[in-house]
Amino acid sequence: MRFTKRGSIALSLVFGLCLPSALLAQEAGGGDDVAALKLAEPDFTLVGLPTSLRVPTFRGSFRVTHRFRRPLNDGDFGDLAADLFGIDSGAQIGLEFRFGIVPNGQVGIHRVSNRTIEFFGQYSLWRQGGAMPVDVSALATIEGTNNFKDSYSPALGAIVSRTVNDVVALYVEPIWVNNTNALPKQLVDHNDTFIVGVGARVRVRPTVYLVGEYAPRASGDHPGVSHIAFAIEKRAGGHMFQLNFSDGFGTTLAEIARGGPQGHDWFMGFNITRKFF
Amino acid sequence: MIRRVVWTPIVLAGALAAGGCDEKLKSVAGPTPNLEPTFASIQREIFESTDSAGRTACTQCHTSTGRNPSGGLNLNHDVAYDQIVNVPVRGKPGAIRVIPGDPDNSYLVQKLEGSSAIVGRRMPSNGPPYLTDGQILILRRWIAIGAPRN
Repeated sequence: MRFTKRGSIALSLVFGLCLPSALLAQEAGGGDDVAALKLAEPDFTLVGLPTSLRVPTFRGSFRVTHRFRRPLNDGDFGDLAADLFGIDSGAQIGLEFRFGIVPNGQVGIHRVSNRTIEFFGQYSLWRQGGAMPVDVSALATIEGTNNFKDSYSPALGAIVSRTVNDVVALYVEPIWVNNTNALPKQLVDHNDTFIVGVGARVRVRPTVYLVGEYAPRASGDHPGVSHIAFAIEKRAGGHMFQLNFSDGFGTTLAEIARGGPQGHDWFMGFNITRKFF
Repeated sequence: MIRRVVWTPIVLAGALAAGGCDEKLKSVAGPTPNLEPTFASIQREIFESTDSAGRTACTQCHTSTGRNPSGGLNLNHDVAYDQIVNVPVRGKPGAIRVIPGDPDNSYLVQKLEGSSAIVGRRMPSNGPPYLTDGQILILRRWIAIGAPRN
């Protein structure tokens, strides 16, 4: 019964994003080639935060996220090398698939090995060009722990981005995440978090990029340290291979809002994206 | 314009739906499902009741009914609040039973958690079972918000 109620919220959010885009499909569909490579914005995420990149209608993309749980700053360099820089340790792994369900609208699912499942929907409202200086997309997600049976954390936000030539993409992402505190609201001061994610991707070689993102908590619950990550990545055809370093291993919005553990630990990880278009 | 008209109610509806997500206090309260971070609830569910896990009521010993209250602490409902909030501990100079806003240094919490700083035994003295982590969390919350007489 509980699952049905929460499931209906998830479906409402996901399909709520799709309905208006379906209604406006003809208006929004023409003009640009969504499947064409955007050199400054080649992937759907920075490290953990989403980008404005659209999925062509009825096409998809698959992503693997991998965050090794061994802190890089734990022990001396010899210890770290003995653990092959954390690769010998356990990892938090995420599998994600997103699908372009209507023009400019995409939905997806991201499942993390800690049994958190996140459903998300994103719709591109305005695109940079002409009098419009930025891309603006709306984002809605809901995630639940224990295979979407416990502790639901929905989020609503916007992705504002600007690309400069084919070299730089800049992002500002105000996102409100509810139920970021795992305790009942009677026991906490704040049960939601408002983050203002900022990030950038810079193409330093024809197929090589540097990426950085930071998600400070502007208000609400803010345990641990704010999420920060940077990465280097290589584009190869429809693949994007990313090696990243972050102060936490969150890959869903609620995990990112909760931040990393205390102590300013750093973790290594990687993302691999494969576009099917 | 049409797009904005279509989007606004959907985003608002999503926000309203989203606002309903929260954990249930009952899931933390364990063997005392009605326990809340209020003094009246703590008095009823912790001090005066033996819970379903078998943890005995504090008033089995800390009462003036038919005996001298153990440790000089009387938790009968008509006097309990004035016996604990800002009251020095008889057996440990400098310690205060409940310090409003400071659960970590409240001796009541330390006794219930079995802190190394306590004199004598962890409470309840015939435990285990002791209070669960969730029950103590709720008691801590009541102290953290100022230990009001509510």
